[in-house]
Parts: sequence; structure tokens; C-alpha cells
Amino acid sequence: MDFALLEKGIWLGFAGIGFGALFNVPRRTLAAIYIMSALGGLLKFYMISLEFGLVFAAFCGSSLIGFLSVLAAHYRKAPPMTFSLPALIPMIPGFFAYKAMVGVMKLTAEKDPEVYSTLFFETAKNGLSACFIILALSAGVAIPLLIARKETVKRIKTDKVLEMQLENLEEEN
Amino acid sequence: MEIAKPNKYELGEMLLEIGSLLIVAGANTERVKVTISRIAGAFCCNSDLMITNHALMLTLTYKDNIKTFTRVKWVPNMHLNFNLISDISTMSWKIVEEKWSVERINNEMKLLDRRPLYPRALVLFLVALAGASFCRLFGGGMAEMILCFLGTFLGLFVRQETVKLKFNFYLCIFFAALTSSFLVGAYWHFNPDQDFIHALSTSVLFLIPGVPMINSFSDFIDGNILNGTTRGVNVLVIAFAIALGLMVSLLIFNLH
Repeated sequence: MDFALLEKGIWLGFAGIGFGALFNVPRRTLAAIYIMSALGGLLKFYMISLEFGLVFAAFCGSSLIGFLSVLAAHYRKAPPMTFSLPALIPMIPGFFAYKAMVGVMKLTAEKDPEVYSTLFFETAKNGLSACFIILALSAGVAIPLLIARKETVKRIKTDKVLEMQLENLEEEN
Repeated sequence: MEIAKPNKYELGEMLLEIGSLLIVAGANTERVKVTISRIAGAFCCNSDLMITNHALMLTLTYKDNIKTFTRVKWVPNMHLNFNLISDISTMSWKIVEEKWSVERINNEMKLLDRRPLYPRALVLFLVALAGASFCRLFGGGMAEMILCFLGTFLGLFVRQETVKLKFNFYLCIFFAALTSSFLVGAYWHFNPDQDFIHALSTSVLFLIPGVPMINSFSDFIDGNILNGTTRGVNVLVIAFAIALGLMVSLLIFNLH
């Protein structure tokens, strides 16, 4: 059980790195993306194994990624979205979306009413799961960023120095 | 130290250029707004923006309320580049703190690295590895992972090439999805005794429009409903293109 979870973490990290390269993130952020992507995904899988439900697990996993991205932004000097987006993508429920799409295709060709109703049930379930997981992922990653927005800006100097400078600037003009 | 008073055209055009770079690189609406008003603030100007997915409109009001500058700039299609966003964000803080002049900013913008940081072969390899990882995560075995790796590799290659040939953006996505799923489907067709459903469903995952999706949601939360809707519809059209590519392969090989 534990080893299986650990192995998933390794693959989650690789998936995160792949998307990082696709989005052309700065090199210094790659290691952080690997770790965040693994941790977020592991939290999701762990919560699923505790039977918390897919949507809630996805929400918690993406929130963890959101919070970690705010921290990483301070240490690696890059906007939080640079970390959170590549790390989030491995959690997207591709399999549900695929099932839903194939289900819709089958529905258009199905004539037997009984098969149709079971198929319709499955398709609607898969499609709704995919939709709600995606919503939970977006919400989970956006909310920590919004909470921390005022603090995420990286400043070399403190607020007071900056304010004084701005005041001087206004006086000069 | 005093900032050299810029010519009103210079400052406004520089701000528009920065804004359009940010939108193209994949920043959300709020970031564009914040960055531009931060830089305008450093020159004691007030900036009002109208941001849509393909156009950026800026009105600069100078402190004396006499001079104003208004211009619309067309924004090209999205080309994700997070490195650029990160560099511009750092630059905008330096502008405020070190009081750069417009000439200096223009020079620095020429020096910004707009090219991809990673060689093309490395990107292809890493994304293909990500595809194989997806396959493993959804429960695929070794054979499926290799198949998914190849499918993703070829799919991304086709997408890059078709983008270079200037096909319609959604058509590029369709071609890529078709290539990936065609490869996996063909292998499945000739080896019907094994199950390759995980490889088939995960080989197109690299096309998923994750950035517009998250940006759409964060735009909604920030209250930029119109931009959020535009991005959301864009996501739907891309998802439709992926599904169409997958569907064509499924129909060709009669897989269900």
C-alpha cells in the first residue's frame, strides 16, 4: 500500500515536470514543481483511499498545491501561478472525461431502451464527476492565491521604505 | 533621483506592449491589470484598462489631467511562456524601486528571453514522459506506458508542426489528438487480445487546456466575468477538438 502510493508520487512528479516544460517555466522552479505536484497528488490519492469522495479529495489536493505555490513563490522568486498550474494538471480527471465522451457516442447509436438507461446513467455519472472535479481543482488552487495575494509580491525592500519613496516621488512631481 | 518625464506616446506604447506580452504568455486578467497600473504608478500616471481576449485598450491620464493617451492594441493568439511572465513581474518591481526610465525599460524588454528555455527534443521527451506517467497513474501497465509515451511524443510533434504551418489553432489540436489516438488504436487493433483503454484515454491528456481553464476560474473570482466566460468557451472548443480527434480514431478502428 505504502509503496504503491510512493510510486504514484514519482509518476505525479514526472507529469508535473512535463507540463512545466510545455509551459516554458523558469529552470529554477522545476524541482519545486516536481515536489508540489507529487505532494498534491498524493494527498488526493490518500484521501480517496480514506473514502472522502473524489471531489473533496481533489479540492484538498489542489488547495495544498495552491498554498505551497505561495510559499515557493517567495523562495524561488517567480509568480505563484508558475508553480501551481503545471503541478495541478496531473490531477485532471482525464479518464472520466474520456468515459463520458465515449458514452455519449454510444448513446447516439443505442436503440435498446434498457441498455440505454444503464448507459445513460453511467455517462451522466462520469461526465458530472469530471465536471465537478475540474471545478474543485480550479477553486482549490485559486482560493489560496486570492487569500495570499497581498503578500505574494516579492519585495526586496520593506513596505515602509517603498511608501516613503513613493511619497517623495509625488512631492517631486 | 528624478525620473525623466517620458513622452506620452512612449510610455503608453511601452505599457501596451508589456500588457500584450503578458496576455499572450498566459497571464490572467488581474495580473495584467496589476502589472500595468504598477508601472504606470511609477511614472505618476493613472491607467484605465479594458482587457479582452484579443484586444487591449489603455487610457493613461497624467497627473495634471491635461495630457491623456488612449490606444487599442491587438493581441495575437496565446503562446504559453511562464518564464516571460516571471521576468516581467520581476522587472515591474525593479521599475518601481530603481526608478527606471522609459528608454531603460524598452532596452530591457528587448533583452527579455522570449524563446523557449528548453530544446525542442527535451520538451517532446518530457511531455511524452508525462503522458506515460498519466497512463501509470490511471492504472496502465508497462506496454501501455510505452505506447502512451510514443503516442504523446508523436501527437505533440504533429501539433508543433501544424502550428508552424499556420493551421487553425483548433485544427492543430484535432490533428494532434487524432495522431496520438490513431497510434494507440492501431496497435490495439492488431493486438486485440490485450486491453489498451488506459493508453488510449491518457495519450491525448497532454492537449488538455489547463491554463485557460484555471485562468477562466480565477477571472470569474476576480469579477472579470466576461473574460472568464471567453476563456471558458475557448476551453470547451479545445475539449471538443480533442474529443473529435479521439472519436475519429475510435470510429476508424471500431473500438468501444
